[in-house]
Amino acid sequence: MKKKIGKALVVGAGIAGIRSALDLAETGYGVVLIDKAEHIGGVLSQLDYQFPTNHCGMCRMLPLVERDAGSQFCLRKGLFHENIEILLGTRVTAVSGEPGRFSVSLRTRPTHVDPQRCTGCGACVSVCPVEVPDAFNAGLGRRKAIYLPVPHQVPNAYVIDPAACTRCGACVEACPCGAITLSTAERRDFRILVVDDEAIVRQSLQSWLEDEGFAVDGAASGPEALEALEKTEYQLMLSDIKMAGMDGVELLTQAKALRPDLAVVLMTAYATVETAVAAMKIGALDYLVKPFDPDTLVPMVARVHEELLAAKDRQVEVGAIVLAGGTDYFDPRQEAANPYGYGRIAGVVTSLEFERILSGCGPSAGRLTRPHDGRPIRKIAWLQCVGSRDIQCGADFCSSICCMYAVKEAMLAKERGGGDVEAAIFYMDMRCFGKSFQRYRDWAEAEGVRFERGRIHSVTPVFPSGDPALRFVALDGTVREESFDLVVLAVGQRPARGTAELAQMADLPLNPWGFLATSPLSAVRTERPGIVAGGSFAGLRDIGESVIFASAASSEAARVLHGTGGSLAAAENETTEFRDVSRQLPRLLVAVCTCGGHILPQGDRPQWIQRLKRNPAVQEMIFIERVCTAEGWQALADAITAHQPNRVLIGACHPYVFIRRLRELGRRTRLHPALMDVVDLLGPRMAASGVHGDPARDSDDLPRRLAMAAARLEKTCRPQVEAMPVRRQALVVGGGIAGMTAALAIADCGYPVDLVEAGAQLGGNLRWIGQTLDGHDLNALLEDTTARAGKHPKITIHTNTRVRGAFGEVGHFYSTLEAGDGAVQTLEHGVVVLATGGGEAVTTAYGFGSHPAIVTQKGFQTGLAEGRLDPSALNTVVMIQCVGSREEPRNFCSRVCCPTTIKQALALKKENPEATVVVLYRDMMTYGFAETYFTQARRAGVVFVAYRPEDKPKVAVTGPDLPVTVTVTDPVLGRPLTVEADAVVLATGIAPGLPADLAAAYGATLDPDGFLAEAESKWRPVDSLHEGVFACGLALGPRNVEESIATGGAAAQRALRILEREYLPAAHLTAVVRHSLCARCGRCIEACPYEARRLDEELDKVLVNPAMCQGCGACEAVCPNGAAVLNGLSMPQMFGLLDQALA
Amino acid sequence: MALAEDTAIDLSSMPEAASALADIRAMVQPCIQCGTCTGSCPNEFAMDLTPRHMWRLVLLGRTEDVLASRTFSLCSACYMCTLRCPRGLPLTEAIGRLKQLAARRHLSHLRSGDLFYRNFIASVRRHGRVREMEFMGLYFAQMMNPWLPLRYADMGMRLMRRGKVTLQLPSRGGGGLNRLFEKVAEMENRS
Repeated sequence: MKKKIGKALVVGAGIAGIRSALDLAETGYGVVLIDKAEHIGGVLSQLDYQFPTNHCGMCRMLPLVERDAGSQFCLRKGLFHENIEILLGTRVTAVSGEPGRFSVSLRTRPTHVDPQRCTGCGACVSVCPVEVPDAFNAGLGRRKAIYLPVPHQVPNAYVIDPAACTRCGACVEACPCGAITLSTAERRDFRILVVDDEAIVRQSLQSWLEDEGFAVDGAASGPEALEALEKTEYQLMLSDIKMAGMDGVELLTQAKALRPDLAVVLMTAYATVETAVAAMKIGALDYLVKPFDPDTLVPMVARVHEELLAAKDRQVEVGAIVLAGGTDYFDPRQEAANPYGYGRIAGVVTSLEFERILSGCGPSAGRLTRPHDGRPIRKIAWLQCVGSRDIQCGADFCSSICCMYAVKEAMLAKERGGGDVEAAIFYMDMRCFGKSFQRYRDWAEAEGVRFERGRIHSVTPVFPSGDPALRFVALDGTVREESFDLVVLAVGQRPARGTAELAQMADLPLNPWGFLATSPLSAVRTERPGIVAGGSFAGLRDIGESVIFASAASSEAARVLHGTGGSLAAAENETTEFRDVSRQLPRLLVAVCTCGGHILPQGDRPQWIQRLKRNPAVQEMIFIERVCTAEGWQALADAITAHQPNRVLIGACHPYVFIRRLRELGRRTRLHPALMDVVDLLGPRMAASGVHGDPARDSDDLPRRLAMAAARLEKTCRPQVEAMPVRRQALVVGGGIAGMTAALAIADCGYPVDLVEAGAQLGGNLRWIGQTLDGHDLNALLEDTTARAGKHPKITIHTNTRVRGAFGEVGHFYSTLEAGDGAVQTLEHGVVVLATGGGEAVTTAYGFGSHPAIVTQKGFQTGLAEGRLDPSALNTVVMIQCVGSREEPRNFCSRVCCPTTIKQALALKKENPEATVVVLYRDMMTYGFAETYFTQARRAGVVFVAYRPEDKPKVAVTGPDLPVTVTVTDPVLGRPLTVEADAVVLATGIAPGLPADLAAAYGATLDPDGFLAEAESKWRPVDSLHEGVFACGLALGPRNVEESIATGGAAAQRALRILEREYLPAAHLTAVVRHSLCARCGRCIEACPYEARRLDEELDKVLVNPAMCQGCGACEAVCPNGAAVLNGLSMPQMFGLLDQALA
Repeated sequence: MALAEDTAIDLSSMPEAASALADIRAMVQPCIQCGTCTGSCPNEFAMDLTPRHMWRLVLLGRTEDVLASRTFSLCSACYMCTLRCPRGLPLTEAIGRLKQLAARRHLSHLRSGDLFYRNFIASVRRHGRVREMEFMGLYFAQMMNPWLPLRYADMGMRLMRRGKVTLQLPSRGGGGLNRLFEKVAEMENRS
């Protein structure tokens, strides 16, 4: 990366935060990525498998262009990028400033373990006497007070949980590296004043806190406390509110005047909680409700202590802030009645706990056994809508994710159980509204997952086994009872803990459901310019949607950073002239980190030197006490300067830790970082021997690993990095709202955009929709957006124009445009965004076309808007959902039709309250906050009748002037219902408008339904497989206006990664072709998963696009002639490595 | 009374305001037919229609079908369905309204329950508490079924053995509570 012109703060390092941070980092901005947890990955660190693949695949989010700037390994383990600074255990404490110049205070919680020194040996864990429920395993297992936040994180340093830690100091003594600092002196220096007029309270508090190592004094009244405060400096005062003479609030005011830095916690009886809350506004830190026990008091005081220790807040200056704090899950215990007996009945778990049961690193190591008694699980029930769609527990929304994760969990359970696991899902509406979700659900049904329509009212234990049993009513009215081995509560989403505080601090409002409020129709912009919301922080979204909204947020952030001129310019990296060593014989410097004797005991050195020196290329071997420290690193740099080697091999710990430092070392020593390598010696040492084991068991293992790496490095050449020039200009095909949004986002960052629209006007579907379900006027949006696009100096609009042909690759495409008058022109551009939109699907079902009263949703909407339909004359209207949708061949949910139906029904009821509106549906897909409007429609008296796909409604037309008769079976009554309708509205869904030949011209492919096939539905949702080709809006899949706008922003952000570069650099690990050996058989072209290879017919050669090649090696494996070679993993290198392995 | 299971219900003529059910329907309008009420009902085994089925008929304005069933009359007002309904609907209250509606119509299939209830309350109004012998005597007399007392004989004997029911002479006095009922009726008429 050549220049950093601005910096952004991303709050929350879950999947959305990582996406936003990577987006901005790849575009060249500096990013500070923080998370209040001690690990990255958010909730996804606990979820191992995702549908529809039932695998992970998170690594597909890693940078594809300029790969060498970041790490290229499992993203679940960690993230490294040279533009991203990650701060864990950190939260925002204050925000001030304006777009382009925010000043943010960050507070990092001390972990008491120095991550630079901790080697992860685990000696501390074996001596720690405290055991608490393990949050990583959703409380199913237990962990110690010193623990690894995530078992597979890299680098993985232990942290101490201050609330659980008793400060016994056992770990400090056990730590071989001296990484733990847990001085009890710190606590003794922390002076606490307890003020209470009851001696018994005072004394017990004093003794509890003194047991924990704090210094405590007591005072019996306000004046006495003030006297003590004058004499001695206290850090914390615990004061009662109700005291004779001077009350706690008065004391607080006076104490604060005396000692402004004093932290005050008030103790209150339940009745005076309001006073305590009011007191917090005048400076109290927190309050405790009496009566309380040591378990409440001690963690709170410990927390205050920790906070004050860390009180030296760090200030960062950033241009934009992305809030990606994610969501939390509903805790079934929050519901007062807790009818499902969670926490009370053994065998009732939440979905998150079930994910941990499935996980290989979970409490049962991935075996399907019950957490409480270890019995194999053979019969499982999932209960949907726990904490969702439930007004009684304050959730008039659908959590949007639970249906699909329940299906996924059922599938995984079936797979794990080898077929003899029974899985039943009890649901109200199966909301499989995403792309490919319906087919996944159908697949699950075919695999034997039982879908039972009906809500479970409670779970009761069966006597005598105690297994959970359900009593439910089937659709035919019979009431059944069934017992299960395990009942999984599909818990819904809730605003993340701390959302309200964060919003208040940043001066942002919340929406009625408690999530962050965003601007109408934007979903990422907040009320405060420069602060944007990413991922699911402002709504209820699954992984794929969160990733889209994260990219949309980074696009807004990039716009702010660009618009404010990147005023916080960071240092510009100078380009280094590396030494040319290509004509020299290999001379290796091997540096071994002894890690304080951990890796290499003193006595073994001669043996290691002898082993390595067998390879004549090894010129010098040095030993460094701790290469990770500043002194150690300096010693290494000095050795390189002294010996002038042309290869450097470092034997230390995890290589990923060194990526950034190697680049810096390369700049200092002018040796290209590709000629340096790091071997992990600590990991194998630990695995082989453990801390207390015998380190000499395989004494040759570590030197052999080092020798293998040396042999590979010896034959490594500094690759000729090809850089492809980028035509820094974009083409957007389609001028609907998604296309216009993408064009504006790219143009606002300073790159020219050609916007091609086949029709005469911009706007697409926005021209007829009118308004959204939540009442936002789309005509205003249309006018505003077309006006902005029309007068943007960087946007050239081509209406009445089609793309006739195209070719090229990322960085340089050629497209031929044909205007309506036949004029043809060719454009050159670096990226293309396909926003060709879609339309309402056509149908012949339900007598469409045979009677004027039978219309589609669009026909109904435009009819009302243009006055062709008179709402007061429509006394009976039937709306039929899923017309030709969610069944083959169009087996997908269009997700906009149900909300549209609700919108139209509500509008009709408003105009004509006497009208009978009957909605015939299969599953109402009012996901997210649309559920509120579903409730409103019910309340307004709209009649909803669920029909089964095998027993569809019947529409009978008797005459052109007679009403249409609709007959449907009511599932609850089991009786036919008939309606004589004045209008029958058919929800036919969305048909894509992306021509296959257009997609093919750009190397993109279509899915079976004609939408663009994204590279990966969750991790790369707006990319095509062909780099440089992106899609947004309906071309990508069905979505509503707000979501289409978000995909437009996301696609623009993905495009900007490429446009921000003059050249696309290839990574060191890329494939090349040895043309003399190549037989042009084309197998490698088929094998390449990134479409980086093509046959150039003019040159008669197979060419590799180095910017697109990801170095996977698939080509090398299929090539029958050895003509496909992977730089960095060539034959000589691999043979050398094998020779050493067997030597 | 059996429902004609296969006759189609015509929704187009759904009488909105005229229906006797209109206000009860308004109470349960947001129902999503999830079936939680049926699943949680302890008396469901004795009902001819499940609660979900009955509410569905209410929503469709089928007054006659609803009143023809015994479902609502078997509600023991345990409030389980009200407590669990995800829509937070006042189901028990709505059932109370259905019972009132049915009582005003003196429906023959609900006659037994109706008379039982009326005589119970009449006894309470007269004496300030229920006098079992008088109440049952009047109930049997009004039911005009000579075999009916025999059905209760066994239970009556057992209750008597335990001293729960004693033979009492008819009494006319002590009915101070009636004034309260009258006052309530007066207040209800006024409002």
